[in-house]
Amino acid sequence: MSKDEVESTFFRRTSRWKLIVLLLVAALIIIVIVSLNFGSELKTPISFSDILTILGKRIPFLGDHIDSSSITLQMEAIILTYRLPRVIAGVLIGAALAAAGVLYQGVFKNPMAESYVLGVSAGAAVGASFAILSGISFAFLGLGLLQVAAFVGALSAMFLVYSISRVGSRVPVETLLLNGIAVNFCGFAIVGLLEILAGNELGNIVGWLIGGYSNILWKSIWSVLPIIVVGIVASYFFARDLNVLSMGEETAHHLGVNVERSKQILLVLASLITAAAVSISGLIGFVGLMIPHLTRLLIGPDHRILLPTSTVVGAIYLVICDDIARVITTPFLSTGEFPVGIITMLFGGPFFIFLLKRKKGSYKP
Amino acid sequence: MLLNVDGVECRYGSVKVLEDVNLSVKGGDFVGILGPNGSGKTTLLKSISRILKPHKGTILLNEADIYSLKSVEVAKQMAVVPQETSIGFNFSALDIVLMGRNPHMKRFQMESEKDMAVARKVMNLTNIWHLAERPINELSGGEKQRVIIARALAQEPKILLLDEPLTHLDIMNQLEIMDLVKDLCVKEKLVVLAVFHDFNLAARYCNSAIMLKDSRIFAAGNLTEVLTSENVKSVFNVDAIVQKHLVTNSIFVVPLSPQKASSYKKCSIHLICGAGTGTALMKILLDEGYSVTAGVLNVLDTDFETAQFLKIPVTTEAPFSPITEKTHKANLEMISEASLVVLTSVPFGFGNLQNLEAAIAAVEQGIPTFVIDEVPIEKRDFTKGKAKALLEELRSKCAEFVKDQNELLSILNVSVEKLKIAKEERDRILAHLKPEESPKKTKIKW
Repeated sequence: MSKDEVESTFFRRTSRWKLIVLLLVAALIIIVIVSLNFGSELKTPISFSDILTILGKRIPFLGDHIDSSSITLQMEAIILTYRLPRVIAGVLIGAALAAAGVLYQGVFKNPMAESYVLGVSAGAAVGASFAILSGISFAFLGLGLLQVAAFVGALSAMFLVYSISRVGSRVPVETLLLNGIAVNFCGFAIVGLLEILAGNELGNIVGWLIGGYSNILWKSIWSVLPIIVVGIVASYFFARDLNVLSMGEETAHHLGVNVERSKQILLVLASLITAAAVSISGLIGFVGLMIPHLTRLLIGPDHRILLPTSTVVGAIYLVICDDIARVITTPFLSTGEFPVGIITMLFGGPFFIFLLKRKKGSYKP
Repeated sequence: MLLNVDGVECRYGSVKVLEDVNLSVKGGDFVGILGPNGSGKTTLLKSISRILKPHKGTILLNEADIYSLKSVEVAKQMAVVPQETSIGFNFSALDIVLMGRNPHMKRFQMESEKDMAVARKVMNLTNIWHLAERPINELSGGEKQRVIIARALAQEPKILLLDEPLTHLDIMNQLEIMDLVKDLCVKEKLVVLAVFHDFNLAARYCNSAIMLKDSRIFAAGNLTEVLTSENVKSVFNVDAIVQKHLVTNSIFVVPLSPQKASSYKKCSIHLICGAGTGTALMKILLDEGYSVTAGVLNVLDTDFETAQFLKIPVTTEAPFSPITEKTHKANLEMISEASLVVLTSVPFGFGNLQNLEAAIAAVEQGIPTFVIDEVPIEKRDFTKGKAKALLEELRSKCAEFVKDQNELLSILNVSVEKLKIAKEERDRILAHLKPEESPKKTKIKW
């Protein structure tokens, strides 16, 4: 390949990246609208034109010019109070878990790293289990005790792992990883104990641990949305630092990265994002591990594109999984639903293995 | 001065790993850092590259304390090539090299035409432009190290720190990369500080050097002052020949295997040699545990120099002079004290013909004499057949002829072993013959 070809391919990359993100966002929007069609609340399904009309009416100024004569109040309520928040929650949580996964894998340089690596899952689980057992209910900024307890538990676990891993002014990633595993085990031991003591509440705890958000409220979404959006956007400031960090911390330091500071900020951001997501959804597994790898397989390891792409792909993946959860629910279960956490793992696992096999082992993260 | 290291002391916990190190370098210096494992070479590079903050002392970059500067500011001036790099993700070679531009880029800036031009320049210098789009983890060790060096150069540094950068490279790669670095050092006044394990590479490229021993600077200054056989001996505990090479005009160092501590002097061997034919044998025999003497050798003869170096007793004759009766006698005396004589494939002229007579005298005295007949006598007889006749005489008097040095060594080993076994056998038989008390008593009972 000639010199110019290499260079022009390189510079074309930026516009290719923009195109990929645009296409993925477009795909996400389409999938969101299609997903609004799934549901079992009505005997006759709501048509796409009706869905578009209902959504269109919510757009300021433009909404006033849309003819909404075919829309019943009932249809509007189903779409706007039941289905839309659920789909938006899927977008938000999928994006959060996938983005956090990218950040953790980047900082730890470890393909096993995922969004729960710093003990976030265990902390959240302990908090949630206590909240469920306490039977107390109150509301705080649109969040119930369960959500608040899970969020506080997740962050406490993360800070615990972080502070016990600190050596002087440094926080070595290997120590973090191991302490994270240790705290996770301790946390889930406590959860196990609580499950034994739970009695009638056992089903609720198990359900939360598997993860799902079928009865999500707008209020809950609004309360975590700022954390997740700000977290993901802020982490994007460090995308190139993440690239350089993959050369090793000492080398990153030699290349002008303030390693300890970047690492601290990124880990705190990732944990915040995860904690926020987990607090409203429970422990949805595998998204934070698989989506970054899947995206890296498709577009390469550069975090400047990997981070936005993974975020969108994570959102798409969780929305689709939630659709599947709703569809298979209808014929098989009389009451309740499949938790989406089961779908992400049950379908995600084989799909991921299939992708890795297709690459014939040439994928080295 | 571009870089000033002043009174630096580093510790890991309470262990001092670097003590009282002073160093100052200016543009165009190529400084070799030498020293045995654990002497503090890498630690010195780490403290200069801001990885390990010194406990005491200062490191100044352009008169500014390097630990008070921002990482980005330092990265614009100083690049580091580590011993080994493990790269977390499968970036392309070009991506990796462009990461060297990181300190020159703003947070949201993408790589510009200028960054690309720099990357292309350094990749052409290191001869890896054709690998630009290849994933880094698919490259060979040598190619990968070139990418890492290109990345360091893409920083456009004024100081380049190399920590044994050539460990995994073959000889051609080593020379190409060091030639390139040297070139930048000379033409662009790049300062290079490099840790070397290979003295000869250091000697070839460095103009100054520091030698570390036990966390301190043992010697510093011009390469020729630092890299001496005395310093190598006291720092590395290895005997080494240090000479100026005729072709490269730089110093070259030939380390000799460390003297075996348990060397047990089996017996003494007198070497009749000359013109370098005994040089290798002297060292080997010493290592095998024999005590060695040699003669007659002319002063300035290669074998003489080696003997001097190895502190072997020699009967000497003046340079370029025939052996006199007096030295011949002295040699015969030396021979009579040896338990073995070895005659090498030395060429004979009228000047050293008497050495052959000395060998004959040895046989006549009953001293076992070995003749290494590696080169046919016709080719090394410059005495119109006299040497050949004397050699035939040696053969007829039952001197042991061997075809080369290896055969000699194996015969020596076997015969020493045989002697040992024979002695044990004799001791055993003697022990049996000894009258013993207790068995006799039982016999009486019978």
